[in-house]
Amino acid sequence: MIELLMRILVYGATLSGIYALIASGFTLIFGVSRIMNFAHGAFFILGAYFGIALIHGIGLNPYLSTIISILMVGLLAAAMYKSIISPVREHEVMVIIVTLAFALIVEQVILLTFGEHGISFPSVIEGVVIVGTVLIPSMRLFVLAVAIIALIMLWTFIGKTRLGKEITAASQDAEAAMLIGLDVGRLLIVTVFISAILAALGGVLYAQVYAANPFIILKSLIFAFAIVILGGLGSVKGSIIASFIVGYILTAMIVLYGARWSELVALLIIIAILVLRPAGLLGAKEL
Amino acid sequence: MMNVLLKSTSFKDKRILGILIFVAVSLIIARITPDALTYIIGLTYLFIILAVSWDIIVGYAGQINLGHTVFVGIGAYTTALLQVPSRFQGTFFEFLSEMPRIPIFASIFFGGIVAGIVGFLIGVITLRLRGWYFALVTAILPLVFIETTIIGSGVFGGEEGFSVGLERALAPTSLGKYYIALALMLVSVTTMFMIVNSRVGLKFKAVREDFYLAESVGINTVNYKVLAFVISSFFAGITGAAIVHYRSTVSPGLYDIPLMLLIILAAVIGGLGTILGPIVGGFIVYLTRYWWLKGAISAFTIAGLPINDDIILYMILIALAILAPEGLWVRVRRFVSET
Repeated sequence: MIELLMRILVYGATLSGIYALIASGFTLIFGVSRIMNFAHGAFFILGAYFGIALIHGIGLNPYLSTIISILMVGLLAAAMYKSIISPVREHEVMVIIVTLAFALIVEQVILLTFGEHGISFPSVIEGVVIVGTVLIPSMRLFVLAVAIIALIMLWTFIGKTRLGKEITAASQDAEAAMLIGLDVGRLLIVTVFISAILAALGGVLYAQVYAANPFIILKSLIFAFAIVILGGLGSVKGSIIASFIVGYILTAMIVLYGARWSELVALLIIIAILVLRPAGLLGAKEL
Repeated sequence: MMNVLLKSTSFKDKRILGILIFVAVSLIIARITPDALTYIIGLTYLFIILAVSWDIIVGYAGQINLGHTVFVGIGAYTTALLQVPSRFQGTFFEFLSEMPRIPIFASIFFGGIVAGIVGFLIGVITLRLRGWYFALVTAILPLVFIETTIIGSGVFGGEEGFSVGLERALAPTSLGKYYIALALMLVSVTTMFMIVNSRVGLKFKAVREDFYLAESVGINTVNYKVLAFVISSFFAGITGAAIVHYRSTVSPGLYDIPLMLLIILAAVIGGLGTILGPIVGGFIVYLTRYWWLKGAISAFTIAGLPINDDIILYMILIALAILAPEGLWVRVRRFVSET
């Protein structure tokens, strides 16, 4: 019994930390631009695949390849924003359609180059930690630590730096931000870049614990949506809190009943929030 | 000569003339095309219903529905299980396996009803909120419903789906199926056309164009959005059910996102909110995907490039969205009328 609870506690924290990295970026982009980026799951899993390709292709060490890989994803995201989202910004329908189509192209390209089977990122840490009578892989604790450090860095960036404060201003009121002379277009590219880097880091961490496969591009969106709706669309703080709530509910379900129920549970969570508290925990008031 | 004739007739007569010409051409075409192509064109007619019904909720009511295929799948599995109730044997729903057999067309209609009810439930929850929530929820529905076919694989047949048997096909020959698909398309599209050109359709457009203005002149925007969604889901449901009896099998592919993107592509090529546009778009997209494009791309794959049919279609979709967001067909028509 205690072993089961420990497992849920640790596994849930790892999964929640990874989800927080995807969801906070998704909600950050939405906050600044009202863009719903359906390609966010693609950035997530590309982080893992670029990293794996760098390790196996040119023999880089896992740390260096992670850094190069997440920067590549960040640049790719900025390029995607410039080339395909920016021209259709005024058409809400088209923004969703082009980002979804982009995500599906990435899915197909990964399918054709890596196949549909799961691939893991080579572990950077071996061994287990013994807590009481329970064995916990060190890897999971390492992943959790990295995720928390990244979230703290994001938090500091948004709250303490000038650029971060400008992004917050733009997300609170884009027009007012423009009036006081902020270049909202430039801020948005920075936001897309940072969000993609966070997602890509999440992807690398995910592939350390689980295995990356092309279908995660869309599946990760389910959980990201459940989180951002619970946290409140546009609220970074809300999405981080919500990540841990959703992460723990899903982990408990997976440990007790099996992974195949997770999509259904995520949908039920979303429906419950929309019925009971549609603004989410810390959402904007515009409904 | 033709021009003079066309100019002298009124707009409404022209429309009827257009439909008559279309019916005549499609009846003649079926006689001369090879069997395999007749089969594909029949499926294209069914696909057109999907593109037009998607246009009702997206183009007319302005709500971004990314889960249209869910209703296709719900209609499909409903009719399949009504026709093959023995699939329930050995499950919790064993009592359903004793259901009396109903005629095919009744069960197709029932597929539409069930899809409409599910659409109503989802609409009531999501459409009272701002549009983003509807888009987010509908986007994940296909993935969730595909998962249900695997969780309940004893009943739904898992990834393979199951066969409903050739004896429960729409008609014994390809030509017969073709005629039934054609008739179903004509009836469905005409019904939808009449709905969007009625007072109800005007209110859909009012909701799309100016939400606050529509509210302030006393239109209950939520009710009309839900109504549009239910109508759209109903037609997706009967189409999904008809596809099952056309192909004699049901599979999770009917829920899946590639079909969704194909529907979006058809509507975007044709232009949203036009009815006629998605019809033209549906023809082009479905025949391109399943008749002309088939295999043409394999040359690239042999050359070592990671490209397949789907990637090409998604690229075309992105290019179209950027170059002609109001619809390619609308552009072409404007170009023709200006020159």
